Amino acid sequence: MKTFIKWFSRGTEFVAAMMMAAMFATFILQVVVRYSARTPAIAEALPFLDPGNFGWTLEFCLAIWVWMIFWGNSFVVRDQDHVTFDIIFLRVRPEIRKWLAIISALAITVGLLLSLEPTWGKFYILRLKSTATLSQLFGSGTKMRDIYSIYALFLIAVSLRYAWRAVQAYRKGVEDEGHHHLKVTDE
Amino acid sequence: MTLEFTLCLLALFLLAGIGTPIAYSIILSSLVYLAVAGDSIGIAGKTLMDGLYQSFILLAVPLFIVAANIMNAGTISDRLLQFCVAVVGRFRGGLGHVNVVASLIFSGMSGSAVADAAGIGKIIIEMMTKENHYPRGYAAAITAASATIGPIIPPSIPMVLYALVSNTSIGYLFLGGIIPGIVMGIVLMFMNYVISSRRGYALEEAVPLRELPKHTANAFPALLMPAILLYGIYGGVTTPTEAAAVAALYALILAAVFYRALKLRAFYDILVESARSSAAVGLVIGGALILNYIVASENIPNMMADALVGLDVSPIVFFLGVNLLLLLLGCVLDATTIILVIIPLFLPTCRELGIDLVHFGVVAVVNCMIGLITPPYGILLFVINAVTRIPLGEIIGEIWAFLAVLVVALLMMIFIPDIVLFLPRLMGYEG
Repeated sequence: MKTFIKWFSRGTEFVAAMMMAAMFATFILQVVVRYSARTPAIAEALPFLDPGNFGWTLEFCLAIWVWMIFWGNSFVVRDQDHVTFDIIFLRVRPEIRKWLAIISALAITVGLLLSLEPTWGKFYILRLKSTATLSQLFGSGTKMRDIYSIYALFLIAVSLRYAWRAVQAYRKGVEDEGHHHLKVTDE
Repeated sequence: MTLEFTLCLLALFLLAGIGTPIAYSIILSSLVYLAVAGDSIGIAGKTLMDGLYQSFILLAVPLFIVAANIMNAGTISDRLLQFCVAVVGRFRGGLGHVNVVASLIFSGMSGSAVADAAGIGKIIIEMMTKENHYPRGYAAAITAASATIGPIIPPSIPMVLYALVSNTSIGYLFLGGIIPGIVMGIVLMFMNYVISSRRGYALEEAVPLRELPKHTANAFPALLMPAILLYGIYGGVTTPTEAAAVAALYALILAAVFYRALKLRAFYDILVESARSSAAVGLVIGGALILNYIVASENIPNMMADALVGLDVSPIVFFLGVNLLLLLLGCVLDATTIILVIIPLFLPTCRELGIDLVHFGVVAVVNCMIGLITPPYGILLFVINAVTRIPLGEIIGEIWAFLAVLVVALLMMIFIPDIVLFLPRLMGYEG
């Protein structure tokens, strides 16, 4: 079981890293394509760089960004990576802290699971809506709901993770360590 | 205020208060709002996804994160430091000045104060404390204070977030941050000089001037980075978002090819860590989008605008009041939450009172960055405490003087709008 978890988390991290790399590369490609189009010599020598072939880059990056957020929060982001207001949490006795952790974990599990069915209902109409430009890349079957479906996966995965966290907190209590604050992001 | 909105706020404060991650607290409280209002709770997810999928400028966030991580991993920071030591290390309070100047340069490459503090800050604190020239609390405090400049000088992740909620131009916001960042650097160096002279901190051995060209050449490619970024954005070569990608690529080439300090394995780890941070911050942004939707449908910002305009508050009093509030909030909240959730409440009032939104935005971001070093909840203090193990108490004891001069700089920016608006206007901003 332990090996499975280890490989699972390695695998999901690999996917997240590849999404990041793909976004990075696509942006560079977008800049290159635009500038090569303005330089006649390059445009003639490398006809496949014609901007007409690359209308999808922008929406592709947006799709990856959305997938990276929800894939990431499903599998790669650890509880301590989240921005958290933990002043009270860290000051109370361990026994109370354990119950606070259980309450918030259960709130997340119940809330997200309850919203799963209504959210999918809201996405239902999107099964008909084609993406603006991604059919150029993935074929005409690409609908908006396929892109939004990652949110449903996120609801399920995070519910399960926090249900497990509640069980762990009940059994073993919460470790003393506070949250690492986001290392590089906002500030 | 409607019942559903009251309950929504109650749920939000309760959940966040007991330590539920902010992002999940927001999502859950928006579900409460929708359920009590009798709407489908599926609207929350739909609003969140629509908002994220339309916000093209947000793509700059993960790219700036990658760029900052690459620069911290390569030896780019070390080379810059050696350059700064050679230039300003010879003066009274030398390493303190090095600290500030390095932050100024580094902030032209990364959009994140925490990255500055954790990367370049850690190295310079070691230098400052090595021969007991400076007390460790002082070294940590000036590092924290100078790291706040990071997101003021472009590029800047907080300004991207502000542009998102205020619909102002990122380009003008970035330009507006340049002079304020330099002003912050100057007041910090002034305070460092005063304290070092009074306490008689030892002078460093001056690096001979004839070695200066060598250090400059060594750091030159890194020094080019801010120029490339600014030229890209203002020369019309790239959009600000693309500039983030170009910056990351440039950092990658520098670290991997030019300085040969980045292995493939390390690059992979950078990608994983960047994806992790981006996902965590992306979820907070998504949550803020739902919350803004709720606040807008409750018509809160306009009600506030009407009330404040009705009170006949003068713009400058309003401006000062908001800044006081933001400073206080900065003691207990993090900058992302303040910018995405609190600041949109005041934007309609700003428009009514005729306060320029670029001016307001830059000042608000400076304010939030000062909030990063205000005890008891200052993320920069925590980060430095975490990477150097210098006790929080010692850092906080030394932070007050720097905090005071930064607040003075903030007041200057409020009362003299030209500090912010001079460069944007020079480049054609009509405001």
